[in-house]
Amino acid sequence: MNANILLGLSPLLIVAVGALVLMVVEALSRFRDERLESPSASLAVSSSVVLFASAIAAAGVWFYGPENLPEVSSLAPWLLLDRFSLFFFVILTLGGALSCLLAGGYLPEHKLDRGEFYPLLLLSTVGAMTLAAAGDMLTIFLGLEAMSLGVYTMVAFRRGSPRSIEAALKYFLLGSFAAALLLYGGALLYGATGHTDLSGIGSQLANTGLRLVKSDSEVPSDMLLIAYDNAVPLVMVGLVLILVGLAFKVSAVPFHMWTPDAYEGAPTPATTYMAVVVKAAAFALMLRVLLIAFADAKTASWGTGWPPVVAGLAVATMTVANVIAVRQESVKRMLAYSSIAHAGTLLIAVVAATKATQQAEASMIYYLLAYTVSTAGAFGTLILCGSRGAEAVSYEDLAGLGRRHPAIAFAFSLFLLSLAGVPPLAGFFGKFYLFRVAIDNGFTMLAVLGLLNSVIAAYYYLRVLVVMYMKEPEPGAPIAVPMRSGYVAAALLISAVLVVLLGLLPNGTLEAAILAAG
Amino acid sequence: MTSIPLEYYLVVAAVIFVIGACGFLARRNALIVLMSIELMLNAVNLTLVAFNRWYASHHVGQMFTFFIIAVAAAEAAVGLAIVVALFRLKRTVRTDSVDLLKN
Amino acid sequence: MVETYAPLLLMFALAFVVVIGFFLASHYLGPKKPSPEKMMPFESGNPSEGASHLRMSVKYFLTAISFVVFDVEVVFLYLWAVHFKSLGGAGLLMAAAFLAMLLIGLVYELRKGALEWEN
Repeated sequence: MNANILLGLSPLLIVAVGALVLMVVEALSRFRDERLESPSASLAVSSSVVLFASAIAAAGVWFYGPENLPEVSSLAPWLLLDRFSLFFFVILTLGGALSCLLAGGYLPEHKLDRGEFYPLLLLSTVGAMTLAAAGDMLTIFLGLEAMSLGVYTMVAFRRGSPRSIEAALKYFLLGSFAAALLLYGGALLYGATGHTDLSGIGSQLANTGLRLVKSDSEVPSDMLLIAYDNAVPLVMVGLVLILVGLAFKVSAVPFHMWTPDAYEGAPTPATTYMAVVVKAAAFALMLRVLLIAFADAKTASWGTGWPPVVAGLAVATMTVANVIAVRQESVKRMLAYSSIAHAGTLLIAVVAATKATQQAEASMIYYLLAYTVSTAGAFGTLILCGSRGAEAVSYEDLAGLGRRHPAIAFAFSLFLLSLAGVPPLAGFFGKFYLFRVAIDNGFTMLAVLGLLNSVIAAYYYLRVLVVMYMKEPEPGAPIAVPMRSGYVAAALLISAVLVVLLGLLPNGTLEAAILAAG
Repeated sequence: MTSIPLEYYLVVAAVIFVIGACGFLARRNALIVLMSIELMLNAVNLTLVAFNRWYASHHVGQMFTFFIIAVAAAEAAVGLAIVVALFRLKRTVRTDSVDLLKN
Repeated sequence: MVETYAPLLLMFALAFVVVIGFFLASHYLGPKKPSPEKMMPFESGNPSEGASHLRMSVKYFLTAISFVVFDVEVVFLYLWAVHFKSLGGAGLLMAAAFLAMLLIGLVYELRKGALEWEN
């Protein structure tokens, strides 16, 4: 361990140490009595401070230049602390910090005010960051589980609610199943190539060189039962298992069944966290696995490899999610399906990355950043619209909001328009750049389908606006009474500023994204 | 004395994995579903340790297994906690007893 | 190869056939005259009462959960113990850090009352 390694690891270490310290402080503090207005509010602030500090540390390492820290390469392949990881650290900690602030308002309002939420969120973010930086099946597994175990618990946080527990159970079972599939795929690849690190697997697959059983000196002679050729099925089965595991994690259709239920049943800050942080980390994982381990000419070609499968997943995901989202009556569930649809759009870029890796990755990174701030904002406004016993969930709850609470309605419109991809907001530029990369590299059909889906999506986003501004609540119908919370307001303010900034001044961020992808 | 060929271990592991997967998909008792997941993870362990015999120069496979064992324990703990919470609310551990979120 | 295991397999097969055979034989050959008393489960002559399935208190599960985690995490200490000499001071430091983190978990559990048996 020397200072440069510590500096390189600082974004991760800050969150990890912060989580442990807050956990102990929360357990040992004697101020946990009921009379306090909100015993865990200070935890919300300190956790988001920890996460912002980590983001600043990541930015610091970025500007200092990871290439000036040659010692961090000794952490490879376990952790790859390159610009890709650093950019994802910023996205993940930003999403985590926004979720923390939302929780600071939501949990006390809904009588869920227990301090465990924040250490869980921080530890889960450590897992997500590990996942984004992982370059070996082992660290991928550890990061994935560290992230997921925290999220399962956050989903189950409303212990007394059958919905919350049901959501947690479904998410837990399918999540662990997916992890087991991914792991078995990894184990088979280890058998075929002798490597668990992604670049090792990749280079073995690239120079035909399945390592399997060639020299008698290496292997006891009685174990030569599997012939060299038999390694190819091992690789194929491994690839399929890993693809299915990844599809579960990014919730691509038809492996998405858990997503709407888990998103709807979870407390909304946990939903935000899942939609933002877990999704971004899962895409980082997908990019690393597919573009490092399975990037050889054969596996990554349209005719013989995974790209057509991913393209099929992309089309199915966008179409199915959007069609179902249109039919939803609950805004929270609609946002859940919308997040699945966005995953479908991102999968287009994964396919395009086989042709133009740098541009496609950059467009994904930019899209994820725009999606993070827009989605966190949309869920945040939904939190703000409700209060104890009257959580705003359905479209009717929002009727007349534009007249009663113009500021909240305006914020909600801003985030939804960004998600719909209306210029000049962040989401527009994310979509624009992503589709352009797809078209430039000959995936016109995919881009056209993506655009058509954006039109469907615009319908259900605009429906919220119509209800808010042009409808009045039925007489006697329950109307949502917005809560008051400085934390939620702060989170919304940060998201709104970023949504506008990323839309109006995309160039700096885009250049950074290209640098990160390079 | 000849040793047992690697293929045998791999086939056993594959069978265990498939049994786990089928149990996961078919059973409705949450505890048994949890056990099925453990079974799948243990099949992975067996595969890794078996393959490691081919690559005697390093111990990556065996090392990996230790981490899987440890993480599987943590996963089982979280899973059991969720099942206990379910039992407290519903007095049952059947997964088909929860269907509030369908639409 | 196969010859080495043939006797073993033969023994398993034989045992299987014998066991199944006896079960089938007693099922088909034995006389059956069921009566309510005979159908009752035998509990040392007492009339049977209560549910056949003993429900465990949730408390046992909670303790089991803690046990599973702390029990298995110690697996890493085996690896360290095996290579204690070669890992030297750095290894000691790492193991101490590992145990310190487990200790944080234990302190947390104690403070949260997860280890109190009575309520």
